[in-house]
Amino acid sequence: MHERLSFHIKRDSVLHRLNPLTKLTLVLALIMVAFTSPWYWTPHLLFLFVIIPLSFIGKVFREFFFAATRLILPAAGFLFLMQAFFQPIGEHVIFKFYFLDITQESLMFAFKNAMRVIVMVSSFTLFLLTTHPSELMSDLTRRGLPGQFAYVIISTLQILPQIQSKSQTIISAQRSRGLDTEGNFFKRAGSLVPLVGPLVFGSLVEVEERAIAIEARGFTSKSIKTSLYEIADTSFEKIIRWGLIIIIILSIVLNIWL
Amino acid sequence: MLDKIKSNFTTQTWVLIPIAIAINVAIGQLVLVLKLPVFLDSIGTVLVAVLCGPWAGALTGALSNVIWGIAFDPGAFPWWPVAFFIGFMAGKMAEWGFFKSWWKVVVTGIVIALTAAIISTPISVYLFGGITASGSSFITAYLLQTGQGIWSAVVSTAFLTEPVDKITTAMLAFAIIQGLPKRTVAGYPKADQVEIEGGSDKNQMYIAIGIVVVLILFAAFLLRSILGG
Amino acid sequence: MALVNLQNVTYKYPLTKTPALQNINLQIKEGEFVAVVGANGAGKSTLCYTLAGFAPHFFKGEMSGSIEVAGKESSKSTLDEWVLNVGLAFQNPFNQISGAKYTVFEEIAFGLENIGVPRDEMKDRVNDALALTGITDLADRSPYSLSGGQQQRVALTSILVMQPKLLVLDEPTSQMDPIGTREVFSVIRKMAEGGMTVVMVEHKMEWIAQFADRVIALKDGSILLEGKPGEVLTSDVLAENGFGISRYTSTAREAKKQGLWKKEKLPVTLDEAVEGFKK
Repeated sequence: MHERLSFHIKRDSVLHRLNPLTKLTLVLALIMVAFTSPWYWTPHLLFLFVIIPLSFIGKVFREFFFAATRLILPAAGFLFLMQAFFQPIGEHVIFKFYFLDITQESLMFAFKNAMRVIVMVSSFTLFLLTTHPSELMSDLTRRGLPGQFAYVIISTLQILPQIQSKSQTIISAQRSRGLDTEGNFFKRAGSLVPLVGPLVFGSLVEVEERAIAIEARGFTSKSIKTSLYEIADTSFEKIIRWGLIIIIILSIVLNIWL
Repeated sequence: MLDKIKSNFTTQTWVLIPIAIAINVAIGQLVLVLKLPVFLDSIGTVLVAVLCGPWAGALTGALSNVIWGIAFDPGAFPWWPVAFFIGFMAGKMAEWGFFKSWWKVVVTGIVIALTAAIISTPISVYLFGGITASGSSFITAYLLQTGQGIWSAVVSTAFLTEPVDKITTAMLAFAIIQGLPKRTVAGYPKADQVEIEGGSDKNQMYIAIGIVVVLILFAAFLLRSILGG
Repeated sequence: MALVNLQNVTYKYPLTKTPALQNINLQIKEGEFVAVVGANGAGKSTLCYTLAGFAPHFFKGEMSGSIEVAGKESSKSTLDEWVLNVGLAFQNPFNQISGAKYTVFEEIAFGLENIGVPRDEMKDRVNDALALTGITDLADRSPYSLSGGQQQRVALTSILVMQPKLLVLDEPTSQMDPIGTREVFSVIRKMAEGGMTVVMVEHKMEWIAQFADRVIALKDGSILLEGKPGEVLTSDVLAENGFGISRYTSTAREAKKQGLWKKEKLPVTLDEAVEGFKK
């Protein structure tokens, strides 16, 4: 479970060495352009000629490929099917079933939307594979993001696997006591309370002590925070970031214009 | 204004937020295991909203979506504004005194559901043409086939599916808070918002009746357009 | 000069009727190692929270009397200023992991980042603290992957690294084996000799007897007895009031009744007991 939440693969590549904010801007640019560009094939080309090559540059193609097939394809595939069937647009019917029909137009529409989602998810996956969360948070904190945000993001990523395994333990413990998780609807709904209770109360009662522990270590200190790690940034990367922002704006303007 | 918001973000609030996000995710998955026809993935968000104020709730909601997107279903990303406003509205309702008794919590659940429906509709229409990867899109598709416009089809679907989920969410959050030791609740910035009250305020009763009337009117409109179409 | 000065301190948590601390008067010298003993609910943890500023700044509630540490008055300070002088570590190690860090090294640096210590100094201080408590080999591990005892050491190190003038510890060795406990006690002894003032809640009487300078026995929120460990821990008053006492003390007390224990003073540790029975 723990591995699922830390995508990061420690390797030495140009992509790994880039400043986290530069990578984040790149992800944002890819997503925004994929969604706003008026040209039909934009998301498809971005995926083939930007994101896949970047995964090779980042030396994480194998991991990227597995993450993509596990996470992205099911989501995008389902979206594609739903849209292909249910979008009531177009004249050229290819396939018909009761009130559902697949037209050439709905197929094309579904393809584009699925590709947009693929661009969004895959660029983000690539970002997570090549950037360590604490590196990202140190950099953003240095740039003025309140330190509490870094705390929230990283501790969520660490607490989540624990609560999930707790949840698994509670489910199997309650099952062995005869709790019905398979029966009819009312039995299953009735099972919710004995499962939610133990999961939630323990964690909520701990909050106070955890708050004391971090306050004792200066969490609310008014001094300017420092960081254990120094994260590199160059003026060249700054230019790249501005370039990407201009591309995003251009794409949005074109979208509104046309 | 800013100081007031800041005063709701105590250390306890910051510590609660990650736990609430984890609760959102864990209960969301539990519901999948039990195959119940609800999501219940915003119980943590409502907890934070009620105990720590609307902005903390909004932040919890938005971050939950991002985390859910990172960890399980990347398709969740674009929906963060929905979760944001669920948290915000839950917090506002609690500020207005609507988290102090069972019937008020039901009203809060309805208001959250309406908010979710209103915010999710444009996202669904603009990004996905109304059809998303969610099961409720079967209803949207059916409504579209009956000749309804895309906006009314999407918004009707949301109005049909959201209330049950959000009322259950609000009630569970209420039950959890009432089940916590008083001492634990007292540590949060908005602890006084969840004290159960005896008598009811007349104004709140009028607001509640107003909300129910609007809902009935909308249901009537919905029924007519479905049957008429 | 006293580093800690409590005058007539009475404190009541919110939503409670009886005070958790009642009329506490306590002076502690710089570099002194004070142990606090008492039953559950005697007010040990509340005393810790009071010294560390959390009562009343965090818990609210009603505080009266004056609390002075390192020349500062608690009622005139804020919690974030107070924690610069007073460090607190408590029993449950799991809740003391910040959660915001991926390795033990980063975890220990967390407090220093918060109070704005420059990077180079931070690294040196973390390395020194790791070496001091003997967990240098854990530096790259995830804090969540450690055992309870190891986590307690990390929690202790995370506070030591902040170099507080007063170190407040609430059962910091509860999950450690005897070897670990001995190591931690010697580290704390060393810190006290270096000038750090230590207040430690502990029920392992043998260790207190060996390492602490003074013992305070609390009962129902008040100080019942205070003095040298050898005197307080063997006192009949303690036994009569249902305190947990060392098995060597209770054995020798029984032996004394039978005439088998010849010395006036009762033992607390194994060594003292062995020596006493030899005579």
